[in-house]
Amino acid sequence: MSKTFKETSKTGAVLWFFQRVTAVILFIILVYHFVYYHFISQGVYPWRTVVAKMQSPWFNLLQFTFLITALYHGLNGVWMVAEDYIHCKAWRLAFFSVILMVGAALLFVGTLTIIKISSLKI
Amino acid sequence: MAKVKLNVKVLRYNPDTDKKPYWKTYELETEDDVTILDVLNEIHWNIDGTLAYRRSCRSAICGSCAMKVNGRNVLACETGLHQFNSHKLKIEPLPGFKIIKDLVVDLDEFFAKLERILPYLILKKPTPDKEFLQSPQDFDKIQEAAMCILCGSCTSSCPSLWANEDYLGPAALLKAYRFIFDSRDDGTDERLDIINDRNGIWRCHTIFNCMEACPKDIKITEYLSRLKVKATENSI
Ligand code: SF4
Repeated sequence: MSKTFKETSKTGAVLWFFQRVTAVILFIILVYHFVYYHFISQGVYPWRTVVAKMQSPWFNLLQFTFLITALYHGLNGVWMVAEDYIHCKAWRLAFFSVILMVGAALLFVGTLTIIKISSLKI
Repeated sequence: MAKVKLNVKVLRYNPDTDKKPYWKTYELETEDDVTILDVLNEIHWNIDGTLAYRRSCRSAICGSCAMKVNGRNVLACETGLHQFNSHKLKIEPLPGFKIIKDLVVDLDEFFAKLERILPYLILKKPTPDKEFLQSPQDFDKIQEAAMCILCGSCTSSCPSLWANEDYLGPAALLKAYRFIFDSRDDGTDERLDIINDRNGIWRCHTIFNCMEACPKDIKITEYLSRLKVKATENSI
């Protein structure tokens, strides 16, 4: 029997499922973004109007959802590709740790940006 | 029917004498309505008896003569010369498998993976006195998948398998589908447990190469997608 089946992982179903779910969410958010910000709200707006728009709780919720789903979708995609090519368990663990750290850092920076914009005085 | 002059390049390799595979060119004249297998037979019988390749039924049923011709995985016995629009042929063994000699590849791993998914009916309910009855609707679900002749073309064409030889591959997964979706079978949980694995169904990235390669035109990717949904329902 092949060496194939010694080391297994059953997490595939969850990762695959949420990759689909986040893809749908990202699609909806991106369509909303393009339609609302690029087509409906066309024209030149003063800085205050734009920031006021960005400070609405709805916008913040949308941005945060976008941040979480984009991070999950992107990094999980990278992980799936890595799993194809990295066969050594130790290297896989190392790469997974890097992905987690990159994810945590981007989540921190993204959240900070959303909070900063929300607390700008206009 | 007309005579044509062919230029046939065959990837030759004998692990006992060659360091690595090399191309050998054969020039021959045949009728224009022959198959790739006829061309190989002509070479083997009349030009170079040392050329090794598999063949058996000559009717696209046994799956023995799967090989790569001009960049595509095909069954040599059912593929006509006219399909290539060229009198130049490049014939190679199926990629992704170890070469035993010339066009003959080692399929031990391929069949080991097939065995792994328990490719037989598992029954836990009492067997009926006569045969198991199956509704036409239930049969429809597995009919196409059951037409697989295990030629290996799909598995050999899969980039996921090239990257990771431990991946079960489309043929074994298709066989798992064939039994998991068989209304008579009771082995769904065991099989789902086997394919819900790092090297199982999740290594399929819907690349579609398998479908292009399948000589039986089986919609492999579609069935593998149904398997993913089934495995997900089972584990979430
Ligand atoms: S699914 Fe098609 S290509 Fe794959 S082994 Fe079966 S017949 Fe061959």
